[in-house]
Amino acid sequence: MKILRFAAVGVAAALALTACSSDSDTPSESASAKPTAGETSAAPEAATIKLWLNGTDTPQALRDYLTTTFATQNPGSKLVIEQQDWNGLVPRLQTALSSADQTPDVVEIGNTQSATFTYAGAFSDLTSLYPELGGDKLLPGFVEAGTADDKIMAVPYYSGARAVFYNKDMFEKAGVDIPTTLADFTTVAQKLTTDKVSGFWFPGQDWYNGATWIYTAGGDLAVKDGDQWKGALSSAESMKGLEQVQTLFKTANHAPADSDSNEPWVPFNQGKAAMFSAPTWARWSIDLPACNEGVDPDDKSDEATAKRTKQQACNEKHTGVFAMPGNAAGEYATAFAGGSNLAIPAKSQHQELAQNLLKIIFSADFQNMLGKNGLIPGNTEYATSMGDDVYAKAAIAAALGAKLTPAAENWATVEGDRTLEDFFQKVASGADLKTAAAATDQQISDTLNK
Amino acid sequence: MSTISAPTTVGPAPTNVGPARVRAAKTSEAGRSQSRMSRRLLSALAVVVALAWVFPIYWMVNSAFQPLNKLQAENPAWLPIGGTISNIRRVVNDGTFWQAMRTSLAVVVLVLVAALIFAFLAALAVSRFRFRGRKSFILAILVVQMIPAEGLFISQYQVLDGWGLVNKVAGLALVYTAAILPFTIWMLRGFVAGVPIELEEAGMVDGLSRVGAFFRITFPLLAPGLVAAGVFGFLQAWNEYTLALVVMTDPAQRTLPLWLQSLVESNRATDWGVVMAGSAVIAIPVIAFFLLVQGRMTSGLVSGAVKG
Amino acid sequence: MAATAPTIPGTATPGTTPPVRRRRPRMGAYALLVPATVLIAVALGYPLVRQFRISFQEYGLKQQFGAAPEWVGLQNYTDLLSDSYVWTVIARSIAFCLVNAAVTMLIGVALAVLMQRVGRGARITLQVSLLLAWGTPVLASMTVWQWLFDTQNGVINWTLANVFGLDSWAHHSWIIQPLSFFFVATVIVVWMSVPFVAFSIYAGLLQVPEETMEAAQLDGASPRQRFWGITIPMIRPVLSIVLLLQVIWDLKVFTQIYTLQRAGAPTRDTNLLGTLIYSYSKDFGTAGALATIMLVITLALTGFYIRQMLKEDEL
Repeated sequence: MKILRFAAVGVAAALALTACSSDSDTPSESASAKPTAGETSAAPEAATIKLWLNGTDTPQALRDYLTTTFATQNPGSKLVIEQQDWNGLVPRLQTALSSADQTPDVVEIGNTQSATFTYAGAFSDLTSLYPELGGDKLLPGFVEAGTADDKIMAVPYYSGARAVFYNKDMFEKAGVDIPTTLADFTTVAQKLTTDKVSGFWFPGQDWYNGATWIYTAGGDLAVKDGDQWKGALSSAESMKGLEQVQTLFKTANHAPADSDSNEPWVPFNQGKAAMFSAPTWARWSIDLPACNEGVDPDDKSDEATAKRTKQQACNEKHTGVFAMPGNAAGEYATAFAGGSNLAIPAKSQHQELAQNLLKIIFSADFQNMLGKNGLIPGNTEYATSMGDDVYAKAAIAAALGAKLTPAAENWATVEGDRTLEDFFQKVASGADLKTAAAATDQQISDTLNK
Repeated sequence: MSTISAPTTVGPAPTNVGPARVRAAKTSEAGRSQSRMSRRLLSALAVVVALAWVFPIYWMVNSAFQPLNKLQAENPAWLPIGGTISNIRRVVNDGTFWQAMRTSLAVVVLVLVAALIFAFLAALAVSRFRFRGRKSFILAILVVQMIPAEGLFISQYQVLDGWGLVNKVAGLALVYTAAILPFTIWMLRGFVAGVPIELEEAGMVDGLSRVGAFFRITFPLLAPGLVAAGVFGFLQAWNEYTLALVVMTDPAQRTLPLWLQSLVESNRATDWGVVMAGSAVIAIPVIAFFLLVQGRMTSGLVSGAVKG
Repeated sequence: MAATAPTIPGTATPGTTPPVRRRRPRMGAYALLVPATVLIAVALGYPLVRQFRISFQEYGLKQQFGAAPEWVGLQNYTDLLSDSYVWTVIARSIAFCLVNAAVTMLIGVALAVLMQRVGRGARITLQVSLLLAWGTPVLASMTVWQWLFDTQNGVINWTLANVFGLDSWAHHSWIIQPLSFFFVATVIVVWMSVPFVAFSIYAGLLQVPEETMEAAQLDGASPRQRFWGITIPMIRPVLSIVLLLQVIWDLKVFTQIYTLQRAGAPTRDTNLLGTLIYSYSKDFGTAGALATIMLVITLALTGFYIRQMLKEDEL
């Protein structure tokens, strides 16, 4: 599940960015929205509610904001935030969500995991609350992933942003510029490649990045045909993207076929890669030997802090970022969007308080706070809060037309079986594309229609 | 009863000592020097094997002293020379680590006490009494170990949830105890069978009460068996991950394996040096416990294992 | 540190059959069994029975969240058994189990004999290192093993390339080919399992009385004859039971395989029964059916053996 988070990619912010110029309505505390479940009384009974957040993406300041704001707006009630790990989240949800005593009242869930739980009836219907939380301005792909049988059961929390990091010195030495199209990207990567250096670090199992080429070429992982799902890797469009992927694997990459998308900065730091694609927070993991000041991470002295600042500046001076380009100059690639959704478990005994918490999360204040912390907020209207430094620009640019995995009930099983990891590994190992794609399509169809 | 009398019936009696094809006897002189030679060779071999076996553990400890950039460098750092203790420091200065340590210790103590007492009673029953269903019971505790546990956690969770034991040390300890009981009973019963009842009776003739005789005479003789069984219980309860994952969802109730996993999971870049330091520190109580009881454990294994 | 000489009382057992003499009412025995039985029944028995029941139902996440399960009879079983992939995994698991159990036993016996034949210092060194391997949390040791075999920065590849000059091994992937994957898995599983086997058998060896060995030596039996003629028969009970447990455990192997798969192996080509059951974690009916099938396989592998032990009253 960790991989999910690592795969956080840009999202369809721009789509809404254009539409957001209209009224910027601040979510009111209007208790008018009728609770879809639970108590019908005007003021909910005071209680302590539990929010599960995963990993450390939500910074402490934002957590504090939520607990204090919730306590102020709901006198007598209290919010407790319990941090969960991405790894092992699914078994935890499988058990805890079925227990009225133990269930959290609001949960964060990976967007590709949503479908499984929404179809299983684990969450409460949020359709009537949806307009108040942001309506159409909420990341559409994420809303779709949280919708089952036309009921909205999970709403977007945030989306991670992804960008291509590159070594400026290597670019200069090879005499290449930032690529302007996806085809150009391959050429540039090839030019950067030497015996020791990968032009583009492309791990064999990294299907989250690989999906970019499939999506940009107009292909898909699976499509719905009537009421049946069908694996779509062998469609003409997907194959076009996959051919580019295989070319990159073959001619511009030394990453092992058995490696995954975790920690691509390690070879970058070692000088073995000229480019890699990762969530924008990877900037904090770039540690070029030439810049390393050798400070102890525990050393809190002024001198050490100064050295660390100098080190970071040096690293960023030698490293650049850009958003993956699209089919034509000026366009951006359609990347896979990673991130998470929020939902209210059906078993929660405090439905109304939980809804109150959601309203706080979707308030302008909180959405802007998410943006300031480098996450694309669930309500795209506030994406501008991400700022305008080069990282934010790349992130927002990458968000153009980003796309999610198929919103099929059993999609999580495809991921659980690691079908796509196996497939991309075969592509990286030089397997015949047609055969491999056909076999994998069959597996995907079997799983999705089970 | 402090020394071993020939265990004549352990296994088929060694009646047949081979077709005494007497070989030309070597002179005792040559034999001795040769055996000293071969003993030295074998000792060297033992040390080589020991080094190979311990290497992964060495690597864990070595990595615990490396800063991240050295850990991820192209050439491995073989020795912790010039290393850093900042990884270790970060572990021991981490409040959540000590919290998890307390939880894990509490679970282990509960599990060991409960499992050893219950298993001991059951072992007493199957090895001191003949009763209807005895063999079925023994068979059942063997078969129960054959079933994969990967799919059981949901039902176990429901049992605990029904009793309000989720996120409670007692709840986790309950399931762990049940999980190790079959094996523990299995080990202990051979052991109990090994203490002749006559000893206890002799003690009673000397004026001890039944209970007194049991605790003064039989119980001490069982110590190695209890220790050997305890080691297994300790290992299981200390290392278990899957069930703890679903039962202990409150971060304040994490056990050590969950804590360790959360280090890897923090979705920013993982600081592997700290993970290794955490791993090494977690292993210390286990190894200390091992070393403490090792002598008794080996002897415990003798009877436990032999009687199966 | 040294394992104590066989002065342990437990070993004095004259016979393995419990004394027939009954000094307490028959009910006493049952009373002693109550605590353990209740606990096992509640926390292990009930889940097992429930799993068995669910294996005849269509039971997924929907049912977990309140929908009524539907009885489907043997559907889950026939679905599984008509899938050739499942059979592949079964065959793979049995092969893996037998190879691992055999290798573990061989090395375990060899090390136990070695412990007996070497000096005190060497023995203690060996024992401590085995203990360390045994006592380290699996989560931790798996991380280290993953690193050692890592394609990019693994110490093993580095050593092969830089110490032995085998440049082609510099970026060798150990886990991408199924056979190579299972080789690595075997190394790790054996590494973790040998300590228990070695210690148990060493303990068994200590039981072989000196007098018998000396008598045999006086009768002119060679060391090899003494080993096969006396030692092995005398430690046979330990060997049988350790082997039995090893087979049971190796067929159930999960953590090591799962972790190695996540390290970048092709999952479908490397699934064993343990990981296959886990992959059905959202389809409890199928998972339950596979667990039952696995029990049948284990019984088939060990049944004869268990009957033998029952007959000889070693149980």
